[in-house]
Amino acid sequence: MTATAERQMELTLPMVSDIEIAAARAAANFAREIGMSSEKVDELAHAIIEACINAREHSGCADNRIYLRFVGTSLADGTPRLDVWVTDHGKGFDPDEARSRRPAPGMAHKRGRGLQLIEAHMDEVDISTRQGGGTTIHMVKHEWKDQ
Amino acid sequence: MSEELRVAVERKPNGAILYTKGYINNVGGEEIANRAYELMDDGVRTVLLNLRETKIVNSIGISILIEIIEKMMEKGGRIAFCCLTPVIHKTFQIMGLANYATIFPAEEEAIAELKLAG
Repeated sequence: MTATAERQMELTLPMVSDIEIAAARAAANFAREIGMSSEKVDELAHAIIEACINAREHSGCADNRIYLRFVGTSLADGTPRLDVWVTDHGKGFDPDEARSRRPAPGMAHKRGRGLQLIEAHMDEVDISTRQGGGTTIHMVKHEWKDQ
Repeated sequence: MSEELRVAVERKPNGAILYTKGYINNVGGEEIANRAYELMDDGVRTVLLNLRETKIVNSIGISILIEIIEKMMEKGGRIAFCCLTPVIHKTFQIMGLANYATIFPAEEEAIAELKLAG
């Protein structure tokens, strides 16, 4: 489907306590502006919060920064699509290994659910990471026409 | 979306209701835990958490809620939740919390089912 309009926003945030809320707020405002429904906005906000917490807690980066990029697109039928990239310049990780430690869905478990929550709340998730080369989580949220 | 969580406690004849307002993260989760453990120490065995004014939770905050549930279960008590947003409800299900605590859509239904009013 042809994209008819595009809006972009970039943020660089310090890795300080509760910075994920600033990222989620910015994302929510952006998503509302491109016409996303409130429930989709809430899901997006929760996914961004987990992505930022993962970066803050696990990246071990030297620059102490989280880089966010948002691209909002209105498709030809008027439905919005939002692409989000959350990047850190940290040590990277093995996504398959992280998934292998994941408890079964619905089983109570105290930690290690961040990636699972991101994947549950977003329509598409792609992780680019390499040892010492940082991590980028690319997430996509669609507002389907029939929703 | 407020960073700081506030917790209000309302004692009932057969338990208590905790009303949360704001973001349930590590700090917010600890605040809820402190209130819940005070109630448990006081002999309360049924606690309802009303999350009507909480719109955002994170996985660390939920892990603390799971600890509260476990401690209450060890004491033979019960934790329940009500008034969750659809996204928080979905998040609780993914985290497994919904298997160990009942989730009610509305407070009135929870109070009746838990027999909090006596």
